[in-house]
This record gives sequence, C-alpha cells and structure tokens, in this order.
Amino acid sequence: MSATTMSGQEKSGGFGGMQTKPATAMNAARIAIDNLDFYYGDHKALKEIKLDLPDRQVTGMIGPSGCGKSTLLRVLNRMYDLYPGQRATGQVMMDGDNIIDPKMDLNALRARVGMVFQKPTPFPMTIYENITFGVKLHERLSKSAMEERVEWSLTRAALWGEVKDRLQASAMGLSGGQQQRLCIARTIAVRPEVILLDEPTSALDPISTLKVEELIDELKNDFTIAIVTHNMQQAARCADQVAFFYLGEMVECAPAAQIFTSPKQKRTQEYVTGRFG
Amino acid sequence: MSATTSPAGSIPGATKDMRVARALGSRRHRINTLIKVACIAATALGLLLLASILFTLLWRGVAGLSLSVFTNSTKSPGSNGGLLNAIVGSLIQTALGTVIGTPIGLMVGTYLAEYGRGSLLANAVRFVSDVLLSAPSILIGLFIYQLLVEPFGGFSGIAGCLALAVIVIPIVVRTTEDMLGLIPSTLREAVIGLGAPKWKMIVLICYRAAKEGIATGILLAVARIAGETAPLLFTSLGNLNWSVSLGQPMASLPVTIYQYAGSAFDDWVQLAWVGALLITFGVLAINISARVLLRRTK
Amino acid sequence: MSESTEHLVKSFDNDLKRLRDMLTEMGGIVESQVAMAAEAIMNRDSGAATRAVEEDPKVDALEREVEQFVIRMLALRQPMAGDLRRIVGALKITSDLERIGDYAANVAKRSIVLAQFNLPYSLAGLAHMAHMVQDQLKSIIDALGSSDTEKAVEVWRSDRVVDDIYNALFRELITYMMEDPRNITPCTHLLFIAKNLERIGDHATNIAETVYYSVEGEVIPDVRPKGDTSAYAVVRPKE
Repeated sequence: MSATTMSGQEKSGGFGGMQTKPATAMNAARIAIDNLDFYYGDHKALKEIKLDLPDRQVTGMIGPSGCGKSTLLRVLNRMYDLYPGQRATGQVMMDGDNIIDPKMDLNALRARVGMVFQKPTPFPMTIYENITFGVKLHERLSKSAMEERVEWSLTRAALWGEVKDRLQASAMGLSGGQQQRLCIARTIAVRPEVILLDEPTSALDPISTLKVEELIDELKNDFTIAIVTHNMQQAARCADQVAFFYLGEMVECAPAAQIFTSPKQKRTQEYVTGRFG
Repeated sequence: MSATTSPAGSIPGATKDMRVARALGSRRHRINTLIKVACIAATALGLLLLASILFTLLWRGVAGLSLSVFTNSTKSPGSNGGLLNAIVGSLIQTALGTVIGTPIGLMVGTYLAEYGRGSLLANAVRFVSDVLLSAPSILIGLFIYQLLVEPFGGFSGIAGCLALAVIVIPIVVRTTEDMLGLIPSTLREAVIGLGAPKWKMIVLICYRAAKEGIATGILLAVARIAGETAPLLFTSLGNLNWSVSLGQPMASLPVTIYQYAGSAFDDWVQLAWVGALLITFGVLAINISARVLLRRTK
Repeated sequence: MSESTEHLVKSFDNDLKRLRDMLTEMGGIVESQVAMAAEAIMNRDSGAATRAVEEDPKVDALEREVEQFVIRMLALRQPMAGDLRRIVGALKITSDLERIGDYAANVAKRSIVLAQFNLPYSLAGLAHMAHMVQDQLKSIIDALGSSDTEKAVEVWRSDRVVDDIYNALFRELITYMMEDPRNITPCTHLLFIAKNLERIGDHATNIAETVYYSVEGEVIPDVRPKGDTSAYAVVRPKE
C-alpha cells in the first residue's frame, strides 16, 4: 500500500482579517505637525504632538474634555492669537510654511484653513451676505462671479435647494441645522485647503447631524478635514484616521477601523469602550 | 420597618412622617402669603405715587396748554408768553449733547469690550466711567463752568451742550460695553476664522449684532439729558429771549421750569406746569421706544 | 487588554458577564455531549448515545438566545474595540459550539448502528482521538471563560495532532475495507465518526482563533497548522 499526501492550505480565520490590510490607505500629509507644545499661560495643554493630516481625508480627534483636541484645532488656524498668554512651540508645516511662525500672515492663513464651530454662528445679515462676507475679505469678484460663488458654496453645503428663494432673508431665521450648513458654506466659499470642524453637530438634532456627516464625506473630495467630536460613533462614521488625545498628549493615531476594533494602546481601548476612570 | 421594605431602602434618616410634612407645608404657605401681600402693598404704593404725579401734571399742565405755548417765546408776566425758545433750546442742546457724546462713548465702550479686556488701563477707564455715571450732575455743570464759561467770559449754549455730552458719555460707554460683551466669543472667532482683520469684525459684525442694544442705550441717554437742569444752570444759564446762537446763553425747558415754578406770577407758574408736562411725555416717549427696540432684539 | 477596569455603565459589565456565562454554559453542555458520544462508541452504551442526542435541542435553543442577546447588545450598547470584538466573537463561538453539538449527536447516532456489529479490530486510535478532542474542547472552554490566550494558542496548535491521527485512521479504515467487504458498513460509520471528531477539533480551533482575536485584537501570529490531508490521500490496494 502506498499513500501520497499533499499539503493544502486551509482557510485562515477571516474574523480579524481587515486589520492586517487597512481599509483606507493614507494620503500624503497636507499639514504635518511635529513636536508641538502649547501653553495656556503656565499650563502646558499640548505635549509634543506629532500628527499628520492626510490630504483630502478626514482626521477625527477624540478624547475626554480638556484633553487638548480643540486646542490643537485652534493652533491650526492660529485662533489662539486672539487671547494673550497663549503660545505654541514646534512645527506645524503646511505647504512649506510653519503655521505657528510669528511672522505668518494670519488673515491669509485663515483663508487657507477655515473653521466651523460647535454652535452655529450665522452673522446678523442676509444669507447672501453671510457667504459673501468672507469672500470679499480675500477676493475682488464681479457681481455675477460672486453670485456664482454663492450658489457654488451653498450647493456644496447641501443648502442651495432650501435657501435659493430667500437669499435676501436674514440668516438668523434658518433652523439650527441649516445655520450650521450655512457656516460650512461660508467657510468653503473662501476656498480653503483645510477645514477644521470643532464639534460641528453637538448642537444639532440627529437628522441634521446625519446631513452634516454626509456633507463631510462629500467635502473630503476637495478639502482636507479635521473634526473634533465627542461622539465616537460620529468619528467612526466620518473619519479616515482617528487620533485619540488624553491629558494633552496624542496617545494613538490610526485608521478609524483600527481605533474602534483593535486599538493598540490601553488608554485608547479604555476610552472607546467606555471604561474610562 | 419600612427602611428594609421600601425600594430605596438605604435612604438615611427617620421614616417619613406625613404629619410633620403637612405642618411644614402649611407654615411655608403662611410665610408665602405674608410676603406676597407685602410685595403687592409696596407695588401699589409706588404705582399710586406715580399715578398721582402724572395726574397732577396732567391736571395742572393740560389747563395751560395752548397754541401760544408753541409759538411765543417767554415774555414778561401777563403778556401771553410761551415756551418756544425753551423748547427749541432744549432740542438743540439735547441733540448736540447726544451727537458729541455718543461717538466718544461708543469708542470708549468699544475699547473696553474689544481691545482693553482685562488690561489695567481698561479697568481704570471703566472705573472712572462708572463714577461719572453716578456723579451728581451739578458737578458736571461746575466742571464745564470752570473749563468753558469762566475762561471765555460768559454763559453759552455750546457750554450747555458739552455739559450734557459729558453726561451722555458714561451711559453710552456702559451700554456699548455691555452689549458688545453679550456677543458670544464664537461669533467673533467665526469672523476672525474667515480671515477678517479685527476692525472689520467690530465694525461689520459686532456693531451690527449689538445695534439694537446700543441704540437703546443712546435713547436712554437722550431721555436722561432731556430732563437735566443742574448742569445747564452754570453753562447755558437760560435765556428769556429767542436765541439759537450757541455763543449766547440759551433757554431750555428744565431751567425755565426751575425759574418759573417758584415765581409769584400765576401765568409763569402755569407755563412751568406745561413745560413739565412736555418734558415728562417727551421722556416717556423716548423710554417706550427704547423698550420697543430692546424687545425686538430678543 | 485590561479587563480589570469596569465600564462607567455598570449594566454593560453585567451584560458582558451574562454573555460569557451563556457561552460557558453552552460549552459545558456541548462538552458533555461529546463525552457521552465517545462513551457510547467505546462502551457500546446506547443510553449515553440517546442522552447525547437529547441534549441537542438545548444547545440549539442556547445558540438562538446568544444570537438575540448579541444583536440586542450591538443595537443598545454600540460596543467598540475590545467589547465589539468580544461580542461579535461570541456570535461566532456560539455557532461553532452549535456545530460541535451537531457533530457529537451525529457520532452518538452512528454509535448505535455500530453497536450492532462485531468489530474484529481495536478502536484504540479512535479512542485516542476522541480523548484528544475532548481535551481540546475542555481547554478552549476554559480559555474562553478566563480569556486565556496562551491556552487558546495551545489548543490551536494541538489540532495538528488530531489531524494526524485522523489521517492515519483514514488510511487504516480504508485498508480494512479493502481486506474484507463485510467491514465496509462499520468502517464507513467509523470513518464518519472520525471525520466528525476531526471537525469538532477544527471548530475548537476556530474558537481558539476567535478567543485570541477577541482578547488581543490581532489574529494568531502564525500559519494555521495544515489540517485534514485525507482529501489528497490515495490508498491503493496491494498488487
């Protein structure tokens, strides 16, 4: 009797397969943060942050209150310059410029790095003027070009259909969700490279929230986006990569799928599973 | 007993006694009634006084109201005089005082709210402004007297205007700072975040957001100076003849009332009542429009 | 990853504990099913065989219960990271256990048929295999209960031995059948029994992989031992 055996490859467990191959490959960095420290007076609020914001992708920032994620956003457009006693050291490189260089032209920087806030902040003027306000700061456009820009930005912000017949009405009359999308339209009307979103949906109802999230997904074709959120599901839904902050440090940054299925750091694991404390 | 059976078994303290609870409740009820009655009584007293003032004013003032009050200037007793010079004088001085005082107040208020926040200078300015707000107005009259009347050798309408302007400034400073302070910092950051310079943020957005509040403050200032007598006594003095020259002494309603009310002539006393009526309703009208404006903001 | 720290929401911990308890209970029943099936073959004990078969509906019911509980937890707790892995892992493990239960019942049924034959050869190889599979099952249910990844890896590696025994048995039984056609019926049943035991080992290995991933967040960093090679085995009659 002779027996022949051949080796064969059995199926390998498919359960954890996704993490060996990340679902999203990261693009080159649009903003590269390195060795960034930030101080509120004597208090060190950010410690040696190293983080890349990949071009035309969404970076989610999560962490408990006071962990420094909002502070980091406010570094990226130098918003902290408004307040005395706040300063940053290190490197935040964008297109070869260090954003935190004191010689930086702040108004030009803010035209390149737009920001949307937690609460909708419509200006007390008409919808049309809300959009043109920012554009007029940086560009001289003819009336028709300006009208085109207004329509373009409102369309991109998924608001055009709802407001096109009342552009001359006050922006204060819009609903909360519409106001927030107006703020997004106002930001993209300036045609920035990067959009910073600081808890953009925390004041909105669930449906408005989903509309904004859909918008974020749409906008990442053209813009690099950083979003700070307290809602982990939102970070999971919107972000390509997620950075977890704790006590002023960036603990872990990885593709969203990895952060929410198999984070490498114990702190991240405890935070995303609701075990903090 | 019930401590072990009740669902929230571990609440410390004795078992709840309904009689104690009821006794405490009725005591609270009595105190509540007492305080309510006291409040209503005090309000009624205040309203009563106010009503009696208005009623007296109407009773005595309406009697003397006639066309000649608005067409004739003040004249010697018994010659059918009016209040035209005083009304026009009051309007000119109030208007000029507001026009001079408002921009200064607005700018100081803007400095306090937007630029000087927390700085030593700002705190000092705010303190001085608040002191000025509550300073007796006769002091302001004396100040202008020393500054303008004595060195330039005579009472004048412009001196009265400036005295009123000094009263306007702290009122406008305070309302401007308060109203700008109410604007959420996120709105400011949103403007700055679009790449706007700070002055554009203040002029194009903050003023616009606070405009109703600031306008209300200005109206209140107007109402306040329209009724001021003391600062005018040493500055524009009053003028029994028709004069709209700012270099000359100028008549005004409050000063005329002050002069006529104590006089021995019945028709002058009657004119004083009419003047008082005019001022009161003018100020009332301004106050009401200020309220309407403020309500529209909300 | 640490499990010592508790969730801020305590009832979540209770749910996770309940899920684990349900799995270990199910594991316990399946373990006894396999033990009874093995006993039924070795001792020709039809009572044990019947008991093993009768346990099956219980296992099926538990599987449904775990499934529903997992779906409920996914919807209500929206678990993340380690919790997510553990809960989805439970879903996989419960279906592995249910399959093991089915195989054990099948073995038990065949043992009743087998008992009608007089076997001229020793069942030592099969007994050895049944023994190993029971060990595997016991270890993996312990590992599941204590999130012990080392034990899980051990089980995972030991499957290779089970496969080797099975491959040897396969050839042995075919040889018997070639020697005497009267052996064909019992040997076919024995072949299926061996195959079922081997499958039980495979499912234990699956559970080991799931436990490892649930706990560590990574797949076992090694190639899975190649399993049943009987698919490629050629046994020719002597010439």
